[in-house]
Amino acid sequence: MTSPTQKVMIVPCSGIGKAYGTVSREAAYAVTEDLRPTKTRLVPLALLVLGDEDSRTDIASYPVITIDGCKLACAAKMVRQSGGTVVKEFAVLDGYRRHKDLKPQGIAELNEGGQKLAGVLAEEVTVVVDGIMSRNHGGENA
Amino acid sequence: MPDLPGKKVGIVSCSGEELPEGTVTRLAALMLLEQLRPADTVTICLPLFLAGGEGDRAFARFYPTIAIDGCDKRCAARGTEMYSGQPAASIIVSDLVASHGLDKLEGSRHLNEAGHLAVEATAAQAAGLVDELLHKHWNRTAGAVEENLAFEAQEPIQATCSCGSGVPVQEVYINGEAVTLIALPTIFQQFHDSGKPASENTTRELIETVKVYNPISPDQENAYAETLARDYAAFCAQQETLK
Repeated sequence: MTSPTQKVMIVPCSGIGKAYGTVSREAAYAVTEDLRPTKTRLVPLALLVLGDEDSRTDIASYPVITIDGCKLACAAKMVRQSGGTVVKEFAVLDGYRRHKDLKPQGIAELNEGGQKLAGVLAEEVTVVVDGIMSRNHGGENA
Repeated sequence: MPDLPGKKVGIVSCSGEELPEGTVTRLAALMLLEQLRPADTVTICLPLFLAGGEGDRAFARFYPTIAIDGCDKRCAARGTEMYSGQPAASIIVSDLVASHGLDKLEGSRHLNEAGHLAVEATAAQAAGLVDELLHKHWNRTAGAVEENLAFEAQEPIQATCSCGSGVPVQEVYINGEAVTLIALPTIFQQFHDSGKPASENTTRELIETVKVYNPISPDQENAYAETLARDYAAFCAQQETLK
């Protein structure tokens, strides 16, 4: 792993069969596009499945946060199989257990509960990203 | 025949989150699965071929699949071929956008109007391919379409979630070598439930049924018969102890 850390890789699951997969993707977009766009990068799982060299190099060089929809944990497993280090694994299902009022529904289009759950997860991911950056850059964020 | 999942077409989308074309594949797949052909299609997440078990990897050997890719990297088609089986058909959204003369796609998170048109065009093309494939016969042993065979009528079933689409498999030993057989647990269960005893006749039936889903060369049939006879007898004995 390179030092100091310049980026944190965010890898969501690419599930399309359940609303949890959509929540994981939405949370990843929220982190990489809205909350920490300069400190994070979204890595699509499909590229890792194919062994894409650039994606493998990125996840082997930088800390990785995975956001999985269900217990199969495809994102975390794929990152490890591809030689990456998972600093923190998030699971949407665990997030929902902590926030039972935010029941995600809809796959193509998330309901309000799902959107809010994605927002909560994105904030939790951001805290971890900031922690990683603080350790490497003496507190510089955003 | 055992009551395995009905005849459907498997849909594998690249789902690429970093490109608008990837989002189009995902939404087009969903449109197909939920609205256009819910009774005829089933999906699996591409990473499950690696992260899942043998049942997940057997997906494209069991179902004729359509790979829907966003770009010419063709992650879905190549990934399916590498880890599961040859896709029966393939769509590349960037090619489709060009051939339909659509404007540039923008917004991987929120598609622009051209993106939504691309979703509809991709889903419509995929639906046509589904219809074509269902009127042909997918040879599960050869992993290829056979022409000129009668269409098998199917019962409408709700679209299956990707994680529930694994095909049951079982590992057996043929001449000391481990071999994974698709559908064997279900075949054993159904034979037992039908009251078929472990016998020479049943072994012959087992071989014929197993061959529908797995390639068995003629010179290996005796070895398979020996293994299936032994394992089915053990299965029956185990079922008796559960009573």
